[in-house]
Amino acid sequence: MTTGPIAGTDLDGIDRRTLLKTVGGSALAVALAGCTELLQGEDDSLEDADVPDEPIESGLQTFTEGAPAVLGVQAQYGAETAVRRINENGGIAGREMNLDVVEEGGAYLVNYQQFVDEGKDVTFGPISSSGHAEMVPEIEEQGVVNVSTDGTVTTLYEEDFPDVTYSFRFQNHDVMEALAAVNQAVEVLGADEIDTYAGINPGYAFGQDEMELFSQGIEQLTGAEQVHSGFPDLGTDDMSTHITEINGEEPDVVFSSCWGGDATLLLEQGHANGMFDNIELLVGTVLYGSANDMSADLVDGPIYSGSRNFYWGEPSIDRWSPAAELVDEVQSEYGVVPTAHFMSGYGAVTAWATAAEKAVGLLGRWPEQEEIATILENHGFFTPAGYHTIGPDHQGYSNAHFGELTWSDERDAAALADVNVFSAESVSPPPGETSGDWIGSW
Amino acid sequence: MLESLWIHVLNGLYYGSILFMIASGMTIIFGVLGILNLAHGELYALGAFCTFSIVGFLAGQVASPTGPVTAIIFGLVVLAGSLAAAAVLLPIGGALEATFVRPIYDRDEVYQLLLTYGLLLVLTDVMKVGWGPSPIDVGVYSGINEIPTTELVGISYPSYNVLVILVGVAVFAWLIWFFDRTKTGRIVRATAINREMSTAIGISTDRMFTLVFAIGAFFAGFGGAMVSIGPGSASLGMGLDWLVLSFVVIVIGGLGSLKGAFVGALMVGISSRVATAYYSPLELAAPFLLMVLVLLVRPEGLYGTWGEIE
Repeated sequence: MTTGPIAGTDLDGIDRRTLLKTVGGSALAVALAGCTELLQGEDDSLEDADVPDEPIESGLQTFTEGAPAVLGVQAQYGAETAVRRINENGGIAGREMNLDVVEEGGAYLVNYQQFVDEGKDVTFGPISSSGHAEMVPEIEEQGVVNVSTDGTVTTLYEEDFPDVTYSFRFQNHDVMEALAAVNQAVEVLGADEIDTYAGINPGYAFGQDEMELFSQGIEQLTGAEQVHSGFPDLGTDDMSTHITEINGEEPDVVFSSCWGGDATLLLEQGHANGMFDNIELLVGTVLYGSANDMSADLVDGPIYSGSRNFYWGEPSIDRWSPAAELVDEVQSEYGVVPTAHFMSGYGAVTAWATAAEKAVGLLGRWPEQEEIATILENHGFFTPAGYHTIGPDHQGYSNAHFGELTWSDERDAAALADVNVFSAESVSPPPGETSGDWIGSW
Repeated sequence: MLESLWIHVLNGLYYGSILFMIASGMTIIFGVLGILNLAHGELYALGAFCTFSIVGFLAGQVASPTGPVTAIIFGLVVLAGSLAAAAVLLPIGGALEATFVRPIYDRDEVYQLLLTYGLLLVLTDVMKVGWGPSPIDVGVYSGINEIPTTELVGISYPSYNVLVILVGVAVFAWLIWFFDRTKTGRIVRATAINREMSTAIGISTDRMFTLVFAIGAFFAGFGGAMVSIGPGSASLGMGLDWLVLSFVVIVIGGLGSLKGAFVGALMVGISSRVATAYYSPLELAAPFLLMVLVLLVRPEGLYGTWGEIE
């Protein structure tokens, strides 16, 4: 099931004409892909469009403080970087973009409603899965397009809201990273060597969704038995009970979708309690989201981590110059390395901006909300992370990555080594089928 | 299975020890001043943030542990830094009491709750300005755990957890000694029992109350230090869960009882860790179930007193 990069994700094997055609040929799309130099001398067909002069007003809600800020601030940096690049490249069909950022903690609906009341042209966020689920009916009611940065519970668009118009999600949903973790575990240990598994996941919708999908996947592929599953509260201060249980059961694989401070806590207490001597493998889907908070000793051990579609070392910054330039820009601007959640913010803005400009090109005027929403369905675009699509189901799709957690002295941050790239088709169901049914059919 | 049970109990003692340090401060403040301090969790968080700066600086002045001698030096420096960080809370607690709390002792309880809730918000913003919005980690936990792993009756267990348990017992012993054996402690207790009589015999209740609030803030801060130099990090909002759990502990132990706070904290720690092991969904509910059970049997708590440190 492991595959190479899908077509067009690397400069190798893709010529300038193909790239321009793929990204829509506009200066903005190419700039957001991180390949501005490719467009020198190209004509811009948007000059004659009937577009207002005033700036586009947008709002992002994300976690700006507290424990979840580990992810949320990265999303903010990502959105700000995309907006900065948009404005430096002449705006969207000539319109500059303003971005307001507000704290999302517990105020998802109020934030969205306030954005709408303020006349925002588009809204982005939230990070939270439960917050996203709360917002979708309101978004459909208000009719202002929202591109969620994360909020990735698999059932959201598959079962809970299968027919929506204005609500979209940029990031790959949970099934894609949970199954990437399954495949990574099977590749490292071999299906015949995995007899038991356990899980430590955050005690809310996201963690439960990820554990359920991982369980389905690994049991289908290996027949392994679950020996422990714990759901500590998000932002917990202690995971010692779950680690003690794992040490007692000695499972072959431990799966975790812990993120932020929970991820570092798991590694700290796991090392202190000897957990890595009692298991064969820890696969953690978003451990890497804490790359800026880890130390070299924490990543020591059989620890494999994934990234939904991006981290600073993959797509390889040695081969893919847009990623390398972005990493340098973000380290210079913010003093951090960008993680997948940086790309959550960057990608959500890019999805909407490129769709809006594509709509202007087609219509010859600034589009209505419903028209942008129509364009966003089946919309494809590049970012420095490679090629992404928004499907007809309003989900985001792109390659997922998994590799061994290691340390980079050069960047003074956690990194991934021996990376496997999983195409979207290999870790998510075909259109119209739910993830549970699809995994069950293997 | 039996070995796991013992480790769960040790985990509970570790968790309960931190909880006791935080709850003891709340107990002292409530027991003497009659103030239910909603900002107590933020004093705990402030201790964690101060630890980041002070321990981070001090630990940078010594080498990481490479052998027994350097390990001891490193551990002592970290412990001294934690005490220094908690000591920052002494003048802060005293100033808060003298400036904001003192004027409302005779007002209705709702004013006390509103005031301390306001202090909670202000302290949160102070920490945001001082240390930024994102979590921060001292990063010395691995170093402390390199101090040889403790062997307890054949059970390998993190050395840091053992240190915290011992510190928790020491804090309890010191508080009992202070309130039972020292003149100042006895004066504080006498003031708590009868303010008018204490004033009549020449005791400055203002000074006593400021001292008590400062001591309460110190132990909240010291609990924050223990978490911050441990596997946790300092982050905005980190005080909320511990504030709620501290309420649970002092209700279980009996309002105003130090002994009750100690027993209650250990009961909450052990029961929640053991219950989680055997039925994971109980992780959040276990402390509250324990509180309900205790209140059904003893509505005044295990060692219930009111308005008096015992």
